[in-house]
Amino acid sequence: MVSPLDIVKKKRAEAISRIIGKGYLAPKRVYVGMATCEIAAGSKDVMEVFEKAVRQGLAGVYLSQKGCAGRCNLEPTVEVVEEGRIPVKYGKVTAEMAQQIVERHLKKGETIKDWVIK
Amino acid sequence: MAVRYQITLCDGPTCMHKRSKEIDAALERELASRGLSGKVDISLSGCLGMCAKGPIMIVNPGYTIYGGVSENDIPEIVEKHLVRKQPVSRLIIEEDHLYNRFFRVFGDVNFFGRQMRIALRNCGIIDPENLDDYLSVRGYEALAKVLSAMKPEDVIAEVKSSGLRGRGGAGFPTGLKWELTAREESEEKYVICNADEGDPGAFMDRSTIEGDPFSVLEGMIVGGYAVGAHKGIIYIRAEYPLAVKRLEKAIEASRNEGFLGTNILDSGFSFDIEIRLGAGAFVCGEETALIHSIEGHRGMPRPRPPYPSVQGLFDKPTLINNVETWANIPVIILDGAAWFSSIGTEKSKGTKVFAIAGKIKNTGLVEVPMGTTLRQIIFDIGGGIPNGKKFKAVQTGGPSGGCLPEAYLDTKIDYESLAQAGSIMGSGGMIVIDEDSCMVSIARFFLEFTQNESCGKCTPCREGTKRMLEILTRITEGKGAEGDIEKLERLGNMIKKASLCGLGQSAPNPVLSTIRHFRDEYEEHIKERKCRAHFCARLVRYEITDKCAGCAACRKVCPAGAISGIVKNRHEIDQAKCIKCGLCYKTCKFGAINKV
Repeated sequence: MVSPLDIVKKKRAEAISRIIGKGYLAPKRVYVGMATCEIAAGSKDVMEVFEKAVRQGLAGVYLSQKGCAGRCNLEPTVEVVEEGRIPVKYGKVTAEMAQQIVERHLKKGETIKDWVIK
Repeated sequence: MAVRYQITLCDGPTCMHKRSKEIDAALERELASRGLSGKVDISLSGCLGMCAKGPIMIVNPGYTIYGGVSENDIPEIVEKHLVRKQPVSRLIIEEDHLYNRFFRVFGDVNFFGRQMRIALRNCGIIDPENLDDYLSVRGYEALAKVLSAMKPEDVIAEVKSSGLRGRGGAGFPTGLKWELTAREESEEKYVICNADEGDPGAFMDRSTIEGDPFSVLEGMIVGGYAVGAHKGIIYIRAEYPLAVKRLEKAIEASRNEGFLGTNILDSGFSFDIEIRLGAGAFVCGEETALIHSIEGHRGMPRPRPPYPSVQGLFDKPTLINNVETWANIPVIILDGAAWFSSIGTEKSKGTKVFAIAGKIKNTGLVEVPMGTTLRQIIFDIGGGIPNGKKFKAVQTGGPSGGCLPEAYLDTKIDYESLAQAGSIMGSGGMIVIDEDSCMVSIARFFLEFTQNESCGKCTPCREGTKRMLEILTRITEGKGAEGDIEKLERLGNMIKKASLCGLGQSAPNPVLSTIRHFRDEYEEHIKERKCRAHFCARLVRYEITDKCAGCAACRKVCPAGAISGIVKNRHEIDQAKCIKCGLCYKTCKFGAINKV
């Protein structure tokens, strides 16, 4: 008989392959905080900028939303994760800043130091 | 070294005992001798929960965990790992617990380094609207483990021995509650998740649900299995639309994948969850009032016993736990009660989530092991008080809690020690107060809140809080009388003893604790008609000093015509006419008006 544990492990394997299928292994992963507090601080506009960039062909980027990590005073937050590097977390991101992050960080690999949360 | 390394040293009690301070010093020395000082970030963290393998050192990027590190290993680590980029394999330990697995994705080490995320383990990591994300981080594995290999009594024994206590505030042992519900013979039982978060300034439950609704569901299903219930209800306030939406999505996705509904994962066990919206009455966070509200009655508490575990929703045995409690359950099942109970203090195990707000640099949501001090939370994680102001007090437990002054900053956080200090753990609100705040007004604010939210069923709470509020209002308006403090104390203690439910029993806490710790401020208000924080408008006097340039700006804005003077000469305020609106103070460009 197949045990519930076997079923879950199978489902997990399927889930992971679906996530990978969505491009998770891209060189850069971008997470935008989208809890009530972040949305109130303007993260929807920020998300739109990234979504638009991806729609317009920005390659090598996996975009996802996430819940609140607890940095209330620095919201909205945007996180850029690259394998093997310390993740870069930007705070108080506006739509204009998001545009800059797309141009400078995601396209040219430059970490915009002034905006990074310490 | 092109890469900038970040090294985190565990500074929890066990690791400290095992010489983490000496290791820190050795590391600094070694870096200095190689001219690498300042090129590597070193931070000390609170207990990382790997005590058995301590002292612990984590090197980022890469999230390499070294265990059993001694001073003698430092040169090797620096040489091999930091300089030659080859981790020292003999010291690396594997950590497969659920908590903190994602520290490597947090760039802001100072904020997160001292935290220990168990209930919030996936918050800020996974996409809360995607079941795949949850499954990928071992989601629903605890449920599967329970259904595959554990009998209900095993689950209860595990939760009992974990030492987990209710995170809603009262701290009742969770395992015992489960056992009491399981013991009842009934065809029909219910499991409830209390998500009626109502403390001003608290947002732990909202963030937990918005960041990871699945953990809460998983905890509830496990609970249902343990006590023999087939129906779960999440009671959440309608003011949390996004949390509700994410819960709905999570429930639907989980149902589609066979984690909810009939015959879960082919185990023969059936359980389903529905959501009930509350209208936002504070009293509905009290379990019996909450149950009345779900039943369609007016949200009012009733005397206990019988407890909900015996006679709860629709008079059936009901297991009711708070959001954070539920979110802890999958971790206890997967990582084991023995591990969970190794974290925290003797009587309070595990971690607690706090929403830090008020006069603090890093407002936010933090999860720390029990036993962390208030000082560590406020100054190390929270970054201290902004604008160079002085710390005055910290309010824990929301309107049911109390204010603790500086002398109590080294209080270790657990249910007992906070109660002893005159406050409570509560659900996790933590409001930091600086010197600009008046303690009498703060007490008044919280009492006004509970007074408004009192349901009116029992006299002590309904009438008692009203009278207390009247006295407090009088004091803040400068009409306090000798004996008011004693009256407040008498009333407060009476309300605590005689009220029906937790709302009334805790409503006087903010007042009683501020009287206990800040009695001199009350006395100043009453005897000297003075508010040292210059907060109580009626007690403030505005005076014009020599700095006055005679510009007449204040005279023009004064709505009461209380200011007189000739242009280019010092003006004066007629205190009898002054209505203390503060307009002159705000208008003056020369800083010539003083609040006294």
